[in-house]
Amino acid sequence: MKRILIVDDAATVRLFHRAILESAGYAVDEAVNGIEALEKALQSTFDLYLVDVNMPKLDGYGFLRELRGSELPQAPAIMISTEAGARDEQLAYAAGANAYLVKPTRPERLLLLVRMLIGEVPA
Amino acid sequence: MPIEFRKNQALFTEVVSVEDAEGLLEWLQKKPGARIDLSACMHLHPANLQVLMAASVAIVAWPADAAFTGWLRSALAAPP
Amino acid sequence: MSPLLEQFLSEARDFLQGIGEKLMQLENAPDDVELMTELFRFVHTLKGNSGLFDFPEMTRVLHAGEDLMDAVRNGRVAYSQQLADRLLDAMDFVGMLCDEIEAEGSIGAAYAADSARLAESLRQLMASAEKAGAVSAIEEAATPLVLTAAAATAPLLAPKVELPLAEIPETARMAAYRSARAGNPLHWLSYSPAEECFFNGDDPFFQARQTPGVVWGGIVARAPWPPLAAMDAYRCLLDFRLLTTAPRAEIDEYYRYMPEQIKLLPVSPLALVLPQGDPNGGPVYEDLVVDALRNLRGGDVSAVARAARAMLELSNPDLWLSSALRWLLLLIECEPDNHPALAALIESLRSLQPVDWYLLEQSATPAVGAGTAAGATEAAAGTASPLAAEEAAALAAIVAAQRAILSLPLGAPWQLGRLRAAGAALAGCLRASGRGEAVHEVETATAQSLACGSAQPLSDWLAHHFAPAAESAAAANHPSASAVATAAARPVATASGGANTASDGDRESSSGRRADDAESDVKFGRRAEDAAAAGVKSVKVDQAKIDRLMNLIGEIVVAKNALPYLAGRAETVFGVRELAREIKAQYAVINRIAEEMQDGIMQIRMMPVSFVFQRFPRLVRDISRKLGKEVNLVLEGEDTEADKNIIEALGDPLVHIVRNSLDHGFELPELRRAAGKPPAGTLTIRATQESDRVVIEIVDDGKGIDPAVIKRKAYEKGLIDETALERISDQEAVNLVFAAGFSTAEVVSDLSGRGVGMDVVRTAIEKVNGAISLESQKGKGTRLRLSLPLSMAVTNVMIVESDAQIFGVPMDCVVETVRVPRADIRSIKKSLTTVLRGRIIPLKSTNALLGLAAPPLANAEDELAVLVVRLGDESVGLLVDDFRETVDIILKPMAGVLAGLPAYSGSALMGDGSVLMVLNIKGLF
Repeated sequence: MKRILIVDDAATVRLFHRAILESAGYAVDEAVNGIEALEKALQSTFDLYLVDVNMPKLDGYGFLRELRGSELPQAPAIMISTEAGARDEQLAYAAGANAYLVKPTRPERLLLLVRMLIGEVPA
Repeated sequence: MPIEFRKNQALFTEVVSVEDAEGLLEWLQKKPGARIDLSACMHLHPANLQVLMAASVAIVAWPADAAFTGWLRSALAAPP
Repeated sequence: MSPLLEQFLSEARDFLQGIGEKLMQLENAPDDVELMTELFRFVHTLKGNSGLFDFPEMTRVLHAGEDLMDAVRNGRVAYSQQLADRLLDAMDFVGMLCDEIEAEGSIGAAYAADSARLAESLRQLMASAEKAGAVSAIEEAATPLVLTAAAATAPLLAPKVELPLAEIPETARMAAYRSARAGNPLHWLSYSPAEECFFNGDDPFFQARQTPGVVWGGIVARAPWPPLAAMDAYRCLLDFRLLTTAPRAEIDEYYRYMPEQIKLLPVSPLALVLPQGDPNGGPVYEDLVVDALRNLRGGDVSAVARAARAMLELSNPDLWLSSALRWLLLLIECEPDNHPALAALIESLRSLQPVDWYLLEQSATPAVGAGTAAGATEAAAGTASPLAAEEAAALAAIVAAQRAILSLPLGAPWQLGRLRAAGAALAGCLRASGRGEAVHEVETATAQSLACGSAQPLSDWLAHHFAPAAESAAAANHPSASAVATAAARPVATASGGANTASDGDRESSSGRRADDAESDVKFGRRAEDAAAAGVKSVKVDQAKIDRLMNLIGEIVVAKNALPYLAGRAETVFGVRELAREIKAQYAVINRIAEEMQDGIMQIRMMPVSFVFQRFPRLVRDISRKLGKEVNLVLEGEDTEADKNIIEALGDPLVHIVRNSLDHGFELPELRRAAGKPPAGTLTIRATQESDRVVIEIVDDGKGIDPAVIKRKAYEKGLIDETALERISDQEAVNLVFAAGFSTAEVVSDLSGRGVGMDVVRTAIEKVNGAISLESQKGKGTRLRLSLPLSMAVTNVMIVESDAQIFGVPMDCVVETVRVPRADIRSIKKSLTTVLRGRIIPLKSTNALLGLAAPPLANAEDELAVLVVRLGDESVGLLVDDFRETVDIILKPMAGVLAGLPAYSGSALMGDGSVLMVLNIKGLF
């Protein structure tokens, strides 16, 4: 089973994404900020990261930069933001995201991106 | 007492407070056609103003403060 | 309710709470960037959460709040108290919506208007602050075309509203006109105070008089006055109207506590140009008009002015003509280039009709499209495109994103990881699109890129295998993907600027509290270990689940009490003493575990008093400002904990007390200064734990309570008789405020119709077995002390027997138990009394109080059992048949019809399965 780490400080958003991903058969773990996400990434391997931008302690950009700068396996990451602007999207890519989604997330779109990035043949 | 009640005229002085309205109302009820001297009045609580308006009293003297008088005239001046 | 919605509501409330707190903190530290960042994040996240649901009313307000906070965070808008007020209002509204969602599952349509209004008010705040600089620049730069620039930029008369401007004396209108032409905004303000506002101590006339920038003010009655005999002087029926030249923000700030009571309309300065006076028989000034218009066309405005001045000298000043000429001169002075306006005014001399300035401005102002900002409506999501197209679009978007990533300039220390992740993403795309055989190519290209430290090999591979043209075609077919694709295709100019790591305050710290408490508490060693192992994690549990635990532990406590009884039977009935001893030993073990468990559950129910205290900073701030008082609030001991029920029961009484203190305790700053006190009063709310009680003290340094006034009032109300009036001490007098039917408000202020009787507070506190006491020193201040049990779940009762039944009496009430020889009982005026240690104690038969006929039984020595109980400040002896042991019970309140019986406070199950009725001593009498 493919494992996905949701990094978001909002419990509601985590629950929402977890429900979507679990219903599609993914195993989900959660982190409430960038620091906790890094700790989780050190402890176990994930196939994909779903990362919020604005978080306390270490935000999404910070987490991605730390992750990409580390020796950890480099799984793709989707950055989830409330900003639809091209500039924000570029910042996400520069930090190390591989895809960019604007909140509120449409479940089918999220799942499509996840499937593509993880590399699962469509059913 | 910020209101000095005389025979047929009431003299308002300084700041007439909300507590004075009750007494003013009673006095005016007894003295229809009473006249009011506002020349020494700095401010009066609107409860008093309402009583004066309802009693359509005659104002014999207005306050020294022109702006204050402006406010009062709009409420109390007899229609031309 | 779905778990997601539940989660949302619970989290939303936390955020609202956090937002409120941060705003309060910001008030003291408006430049604290970290606070600001945190506050923004709260609002931002809450908005994001609300977007998951269909709550447009909520999202709209939060979105506006987020934008505003963003502007504040970036320094575009300055933080102000007005801003905090509006934001707090908005959050209150969101909280209300949360309640509505919880109760109804959705948000009623009725909230849409409020939502729009609140969002608008937040946006206005932002717009007005941001524009402040820009507008003045425009005003200066614009050349006067038809009307002056100032007149053209403001909406002015936009919707034509008939204002009674003609009622304003000409001199006042001229002053207002001058001020407006000097660049000040001009507003007509009507202020309709609430009818009951006098009872709140408001003086709306004073409020109106002090309005910033007031040029003229008038007062009108809302309705014809009733006959004087039927007049109620204390119902405010006045409307205040005024003309002001203060900036709108200043007016809003000044009337911030009554925004719903004021109406503010912008007024065009020209609208004030209303000549008035005697028309004097008709228009006879044709020559003047013709000459003036010719001069005006020739550009010789000064000639017009000369002619007007000459005419004015010759005319009676009371004429309409004179008034018009005065205005003409003023216009020439202030806006000599506004020829259309001058011409219109000159023309009006012909007809002696006032100029219709509205028409003039409407025809002159170029039509501006009504820029109604379309809400940021998301593109409709339900496009019924085939899945394959969706997939193709997603694929294209991802590939485009990786291309953008690969074209990023190198140099970032995390660039290799970024390359690796891009490779992984592309490999995923290959597999997902059924081209798994090409995955190894990507891996090779990625490895080459990593080896040479350049994105080139990978981007070459990408260019080769995913043709950009195909992508854009796919993307073009799919609108939602196109934005991503085009954005990604753009060359990247900046390396990796922006977005830095925000180091935020530790929001999790509060959840660590429980663990700290447990560790500091030696008695609960086991829990401390658990807490240490679990770190600072906290779990949110539904209240109902904890209540269930409470009930269960209650049953265990009762069930275990059956064991000693069983042991007794084993020994006495069956004669197996060995078994009896084993049962007792086993009982000791179960008892210990049950006690610890009970304690553990109590701990779960414990809440810090901060739960109640947190509302006070805002309450005190709002009320004291409204009353024009200055009050510093000091909160102490917010971490003190007590049972949830106790904490919740504390809320309303505390609010009453604080309100009372603000309303009547504190003096106005001038009075305080006059009394030699600092102008700002101090209100301290302090919580401490004293053994098994939590003590809350509310201390103010206000004017205190005058015992003489209290005595007089109590006497007038028939609460004390004449002898008591002489006899009672000042302290006793002060305590009279707790007597039923005594409203402090009537004492302290003759007018406050809202005074909360302190007896209500006392009753509420006593309901949870609390006590309240008051000390006051006239002129110095008042100290209220509430003492409450830490927990209300377990009650220690003494069991007494009467008429062959057993009853429980709460130990808090019991003073002592004595046996009094029948001979020592006297009968004074039909009441029984006895003397105990020199004090006369009235005696009451419990049977009689409960309506039982049986007389009290005496023992063999002819002594009667007297249970001395506390009843308020007095002691009363209850005659019972016998005393029994004391037990801990879980008191269940009486339910159903029994709940109406004041004699009982509840019932409890005993170990032998019987039911113990617990007496409510106060309810007995």
